[in-house]
Amino acid sequence: MTPAEVKSAIAEGALVLDLRPPRRFAAGHVPGALTMQFNRADLADRAELVLPKELALVVHAEPEPIAAAATAILREAGYDVRGHLEGGLAAWTAAGEPVAELPLLDVDELRERVHDYLVLDVRERFEFRHGHIAGAQLLPSGEAWQKAADVPGDRPIAVVCGDQTRSAAVASMLLRAGRDARLVMGGMVDWLERGYPVEKQPVHA
Amino acid sequence: MIFEQFRYEPLSAASYLVGCARAREALVVDPIADLGPDFYVLEAADQGLDVVAVVETHVHADFVSCARELADMTGATHYLGAAAQGLVRYDVTPAADGDSIHVGQIELQAIATPGHTPEHTAFVVVDHARSEEPWAVLTGDSLFVGDVGRPDLLVGDAELDVMDEETRAATQFRSIRERLLTLPDHVEVFPTHYGGSTCGGVNMSGKASSTIYFEKRYNLALAQPDAAAFVRFVRETAKPFPDGYARIKSYNLGLIGKDELAGATRP
Repeated sequence: MTPAEVKSAIAEGALVLDLRPPRRFAAGHVPGALTMQFNRADLADRAELVLPKELALVVHAEPEPIAAAATAILREAGYDVRGHLEGGLAAWTAAGEPVAELPLLDVDELRERVHDYLVLDVRERFEFRHGHIAGAQLLPSGEAWQKAADVPGDRPIAVVCGDQTRSAAVASMLLRAGRDARLVMGGMVDWLERGYPVEKQPVHA
Repeated sequence: MIFEQFRYEPLSAASYLVGCARAREALVVDPIADLGPDFYVLEAADQGLDVVAVVETHVHADFVSCARELADMTGATHYLGAAAQGLVRYDVTPAADGDSIHVGQIELQAIATPGHTPEHTAFVVVDHARSEEPWAVLTGDSLFVGDVGRPDLLVGDAELDVMDEETRAATQFRSIRERLLTLPDHVEVFPTHYGGSTCGGVNMSGKASSTIYFEKRYNLALAQPDAAAFVRFVRETAKPFPDGYARIKSYNLGLIGKDELAGATRP
């Protein structure tokens, strides 16, 4: 699809699914796009975990072979994939279209200013119980599409998971909803590696 | 470190994906057109990796390379031994002896190993997440498992060939003995060919990896007492020439286009 075709698909309610790595998505993406990790083995499962089937999708992946593979996988899974953004982000910006950015945080920055953020932990409940950042709010990634609007809005939201796979998807949902979301690169793996403290009380969610 | 060997059985050719899971970046070594650039891009993507470098150990004569297409498709840097400058008719980034290529915690150290071809370069693999010591070496068509790369795949143009067969053979002997067998014993050997490949002689093993220690001890070609005996041995144990090698080599050098390749590849 050309940038103009993608634009009109968006106007008709299609969601751009951006399958590039988190850093690329963060640096610039089609506004409103949702990001997700690509691999052939579990793209369908990842999509089914967070996205309703009724949504029309436009795939954004680079380079081209990934877009073609992703389109086939998602169609096979029953999604209405309208096509993919041909020429990727370069074509989009060359057409004069705006891009959105997702601010990144590393765990050191998060630790230093942790009280400035609402820490949103998007792992599963069992992972959260094993250890989470003090004050973190739990929202498993599979529930995020329905519950993103309920996340309190008084502070910027620092989204964290094990690394940055599920957190990138949820951060992009929040961004799409107009929220001030930040993606914590490295997630709890980096946090624990630094020896930063975690709370281990069981959560009654 | 992510380290994958892709074996393409019809050519007994091995190509490699070497990546850093943390940096989410990878390099591809000696990509084969029969597999195609899409194959490497998707294999890397399945591991969550972006292809940022395409490394060739040398200009191949027995299979069509897709390094240029893969680099174009991904925006990756295309590396080839420094001596390829002036030989290939397209832009590459030279990898000179002692140069390093980094992807995240992974380092590839170039070792000039002329012989099979003048620009041939092996790459020592260091995973700094584990150790500063070398872990493996991508030997291309220099050191094979049980054998060595043949020195007689010439295009027939003295300027492009640079060295004649005998010089290549003697150079191969020195390159392998002085530059590769001097690596620590534990270093794993990953060649670009194995088994039935016609790039090596009849003693090539079907096993597609080995160690420096094992090859030092049991590689018959390297057990020859001197360069002259080595040249004789390599000639006596050679296989038939690869099909259409002069045309494949000409394509890989950038001398002819894809349209002129037709019929040069094996069925």
